[in-house]
Amino acid sequence: MTQRRAVSGPTGNVRRPGEDERTEWREGLRPGVPPVSSPAIFVTSTKLGCEAGRQMEYLAAIRVPAMRRLIQVSDGVSVHLKKDLIDKLLYRTTMGLRVGGVVYCLVALYVAAQPSNK
Amino acid sequence: MAHQAHAYHMVDPSPWPLTGAVAALLMTSGLAIWMHFHTMTLMTLGMILLLLTMYQWWRDIIREGTFQGHHTPPVQKGLRYGMILFITSEVFFFLGFFWAFYHSSLAPTPELGGCWPPTGITTLDPFEVPLLNTAVLLASGVTVTWAHHSIMEGLRKQAIQSLALTILLGFYFTFLQGMEYYEAPFTIADGVYGSTFFVATGFHGLHVIIGSTFLAVCLLRQVQYHFTSEHHFGFEAAAWYWHFVDVVWLFLYISIYWWGS
Repeated sequence: MTQRRAVSGPTGNVRRPGEDERTEWREGLRPGVPPVSSPAIFVTSTKLGCEAGRQMEYLAAIRVPAMRRLIQVSDGVSVHLKKDLIDKLLYRTTMGLRVGGVVYCLVALYVAAQPSNK
Repeated sequence: MAHQAHAYHMVDPSPWPLTGAVAALLMTSGLAIWMHFHTMTLMTLGMILLLLTMYQWWRDIIREGTFQGHHTPPVQKGLRYGMILFITSEVFFFLGFFWAFYHSSLAPTPELGGCWPPTGITTLDPFEVPLLNTAVLLASGVTVTWAHHSIMEGLRKQAIQSLALTILLGFYFTFLQGMEYYEAPFTIADGVYGSTFFVATGFHGLHVIIGSTFLAVCLLRQVQYHFTSEHHFGFEAAAWYWHFVDVVWLFLYISIYWWGS
């Protein structure tokens, strides 16, 4: 069964004509708030105009819309295995440690419960 | 394609709760095995499993909230209740250690010399490093509030800088406290004074490390554009936890460092 995604805040992966990934992301901001931060009084910058676009991608590129498209695929796969290879690898490692750990624990407790011959 | 007719989140079946329970079993049994047979393998295995569980469980919550949009207002309300209840349980945890401290310090026994601090204990000067630690944590409370307002105003650069500063202050506190532990003229084995001091401040230090880690994850998420000005509960939860850690320190400082010296 697929659940309808109720999105609060930014829109989902639906774009209106003329929009790009930045526009989609900018809609997460409150209405009337400019996407570019106003310069603090101790920052002197004279390159506001041409750098406005680049300032949106300060420190990292926007990958949230792409991640949304990947994670929202309706293929019946649980959320913990959505990213295929890396998720499977982590999951199998964790399961192996879990099962092996329980067996090791039970053996260790059995051995520890044996009376000592001191 | 069927759709749900409500705003709540029906979670996909998850293996992480059972994995976490097994990790707890391995860590506790491993602790007993370490104490009696001097081998740390089982306990280490439990800790690795715990780290894997925490990483994958919280990764899945981020996927469900930020990428799938399941954290509607009613769901967020539940998450807020959950965090408040968890912090309340932590308050009671620390209350126990404060109870132990006051039980011993308000009526010191003849074995201690009938006084507090006990005879032979050289206490730390509360107006040296402990006072600096207090200033550091209070300042970090200011910077985390600055970060919150920056996120709400959509000021990305300021949010990242103030959040990074908060984390740095947290690390600075941990470093200073570590130096104090190393230089302290008494140990945990020095009677009830040592026990109450190191257990109470030690657990507080652990919570500072946990809080710093939580804020660091929030910093990574802020850099990755996960938070919006309207919806950033992960950060709010981290900020609440950080304020809680700050308040516990204030009580520790006044009770153990200042009054107790």
